[in-house]
Formats: sequence, C-alpha cells, structure tokens
Amino acid sequence: MSLRTGAGATPSGQGRGSAAVRGGQAAATTPPRGNGKTIERFDAVERIVHWTTAVLMLELIATGAILYIPSISLVVGHRGIIENIHVYSGLALLLPLIIGVAGPWRERLLRDLRRFDRWSAADWDWFHRKAHRSGAPLGKFNGGQKAEAALVGGGMVVMLATGVLMRFAPPSWINWQQGATLVHDVGFIAIGLGVAGHIYFALNSPERLKSMMTGRIPRAWAAKHTPVWVKEADEGKP
Amino acid sequence: MLDPPAGGKTTHVQGRAMTDHEHESEATQSPRTTHVGRRAILGITALGAAGIAFGASVDNAIGGALTRISNDLGGLGALVPGADQFRIYTVTGSIPTISPESYRLTVDGMVERPLSLSIADLRGMKRTTLVHYFQCVTGWRVPSVHWQGVQLSEVLDRAGVKPGGTALRFFSGDGVYTESLTIGQAHLSDVLVADRMIGDDVTPEHGGPVRLYVAPMYGYKSIKWLDRIQVLNEVIPGYWENYGYAVNAWIGGNP
Repeated sequence: MSLRTGAGATPSGQGRGSAAVRGGQAAATTPPRGNGKTIERFDAVERIVHWTTAVLMLELIATGAILYIPSISLVVGHRGIIENIHVYSGLALLLPLIIGVAGPWRERLLRDLRRFDRWSAADWDWFHRKAHRSGAPLGKFNGGQKAEAALVGGGMVVMLATGVLMRFAPPSWINWQQGATLVHDVGFIAIGLGVAGHIYFALNSPERLKSMMTGRIPRAWAAKHTPVWVKEADEGKP
Repeated sequence: MLDPPAGGKTTHVQGRAMTDHEHESEATQSPRTTHVGRRAILGITALGAAGIAFGASVDNAIGGALTRISNDLGGLGALVPGADQFRIYTVTGSIPTISPESYRLTVDGMVERPLSLSIADLRGMKRTTLVHYFQCVTGWRVPSVHWQGVQLSEVLDRAGVKPGGTALRFFSGDGVYTESLTIGQAHLSDVLVADRMIGDDVTPEHGGPVRLYVAPMYGYKSIKWLDRIQVLNEVIPGYWENYGYAVNAWIGGNP
C-alpha cells in the first residue's frame, strides 16, 4: 500500500495513494488516516474551478443586473461596454469546469460531480429533518447541496444557450430570441436566488467555507455531518 | 454533463470502484443512490428549450403578459418613473436632459434648405399617430405603444433632398450614439420623428424631447435624443452596427 498513513495531515500524495487503493482489492482493510485531525475535502483543481467560476458568476450577476434592471441601467449607462463584458464572460463561464474535467487532474472533480448526481434516501430526508439528524447517513454532499448543484448546473447551460441566441442569432430567429429573453429573465432570478442561498449557507457553515479555501475539513466535523464520506475518504476516495 | 465520458479509462476504473462500493454496501450500510442530479439538469435544460421554442407564441397569445411580468419582476420597471414596460438603455453614463424650449432638430448635408426645427415647428407640420409595438433586438417587446409625430419623409420633403442624397445619418444628443437609414427606408410611412409617446411628451428616459421611431425595424434604429439628421451619399453604420448588429434591422429579417 502506498497510502501515506503516517502523514494524514499533509495533502501531498493522497491522489496517488487513492489510485493505488482503487486498483487493489484491499480497500476495506486500508488503515484509516486516523492520526490526521483534518481530511482533504477539495483538491486544488476543485478549488480553482470553484473560485474562478464564482468570480465569473458574480461578475455576470452584476453586469446582468446593470443590463436588466432599468433603475441600475440608468445610473451606470455605458450599455455597449457592459454588454460586451457580460456576453464574453458568459461565454467563458463553463470554461473552468470544462478544463477541470478535461485533463489528468480531473479525478477528484469528476468524483464529486458524480456525487452531485447520485441521491440517497438520506439526501431526500435532509430536506425534512436536517436539523435533527446529525448522524444521518449522509455522504460528502447533502440533498440541499445537490439540489443547488443541479439548479446552478442546469441554469448555466440554459443561460449560455439563451444568451448566445439573444446576442448572436440571425434576425429571422426573432421568435426564438423572444423566447430566449423570457427564459434568460427567469433564469436570472432563479440563479440569483440559487447563488444567494449558496452564499448564505456557506456563511452559516464556517467549516465548509474554510474547506473551500484551504481544502481541508476537521475529521470530527466530517464524521458528524458526512459520515458516509469519511468512510469513503478512509477507503481512498475523498 | 455529469455523466462520465463513455469508454474512457477513468470511467472504467471508476465504474469498478462503484461496483465494489455497492457490493459492500450491505455490510457497511452505504446508501443506495439514484441519478437524480443528471435528470434534474436534463429537466432544467428541457424547460429552457421549451421556453425558447414556445415562449414567444405563448406570450403573444396572451397579449405579452409574460413580457410584462418579466419586465416588472426582474426589470423592476415600476421603480423607474416613466419607464412603463420599456427597459431603458443608454450607451453613455447618463441620460441627456434637453430643454424642450431650446431644442432644435438640425437637418443638413445634401439638402436644398438646411433646417433647424423647434418643437413648435414639428407640432405645426402634418401629424401622424401610430399604435405599434416596440421590439428590441434582444427579444423583449412592448405591445401597443402609442407614437405621435411627423413622418420622416415630411421633414425630408421640407428640406429638399438633393440628387445623390441616398442615405441618412442620425446623431443623438448624448454625443455618442448614431444611426443610419437609406433614403428608401426613411420614406416608409411608419417612420416617425416622434415628440409624443404613450399619450404624453416623450420623456427623457425614452429619448425626449424628440426621438426617431422606425416601426419595421429593431429598437436600436429608433435613436433617442435625436438632434441632427445628415443627408449623405452613402450609409455610415451606426453605434450598435459597429458591434456587429445588422444595418438593415428589419424585424424578423424581412422588410
């Protein structure tokens, strides 16, 4: 086993170690990194993808508000410049994610995307009883986080498609442009609420917020809130 | 987009891991899962596609109610006095404030009689009223807008376009925005030099005291704060046309 059991607090070598575990048969018998007080929750690739997307998203919301809300349009003006910034950063919005899953650095990111996809019964329960169920068999992400991922993920696809139609469609597509504008308007509100909720929950969960900055989360916290994931991490699939 | 790339090496490895994971789940009570996330994303995408395909038809069928709601909700139209259902666009940092008393519309270039028309001059000419929608190139539309003013052809006839004058260039009082029309387009009966709109004098937000209204073309041709019309022998593309918008901006692509 190449897993660095003695160096649980250092992130280096974990990716390599987990690959070795997956290749072998002894995942269940791998000694947990029990000495570590923290677990790596997000690797550098995931954090870079997150924060570049976050900056683009906030900038798009700001420029979108200037373009969309007349009272702000009036104060700011300069529609030509603002529109170009909005359009081209919109075209770039999915680039960090695409680059993140396109290279050999994608392992952790892909695994987390699959986690967003897969919902367990505990994820559904989270919406009803989240406050009372520490110890619920939750994985790395709970139902709320998975719903957020689906909303913003689907929303980004829809906003990209409708935005391209609004800006680049030929004049004869006027009906589609009109429909695209309506969808883009609704999407602005939906994604705005989604991002606001995301920031609200992040600010109310300092451990999670810190883990998106430093990459690491206290093991004790993770064992309480995401027990299934702690087991996965100990098996080499953080 | 959450699907692993089919056939890739990583997919195979991950697929094995997942199988192992599920196999051991009975012993360790790992939860069973379903692919909710990708279905949700596909569903959202499908909703968006349906909105693109049918949004305009539905909206037109119910008299533009969706556009109105959308403009009021996200646009917070009610917060802007005089915006009505319009989204107020400016390409400079502020809205020009032009006194109706001192306002003059200059008509020059290849004309027999250069003009300098006051609001009173325009009110004394043959008046035309239209009720017609305002269609933005990005898709929003305000239905049944009331427009009143003087046909552009009347203004051109008064100035007398010289032979060879085949195009018009319009200048906005904001000092930046320009637009263009061919002489043929300018003589269409639903192209107005408008000084009244929605039952009142044109407000500063809408381009007052005088703006152009080119009914058969997208809104960006209807230049606001119109203060000069120059007759030329060739079309010079306007502000948005330098950003790639069509010079002949027929709504729906056809005259």
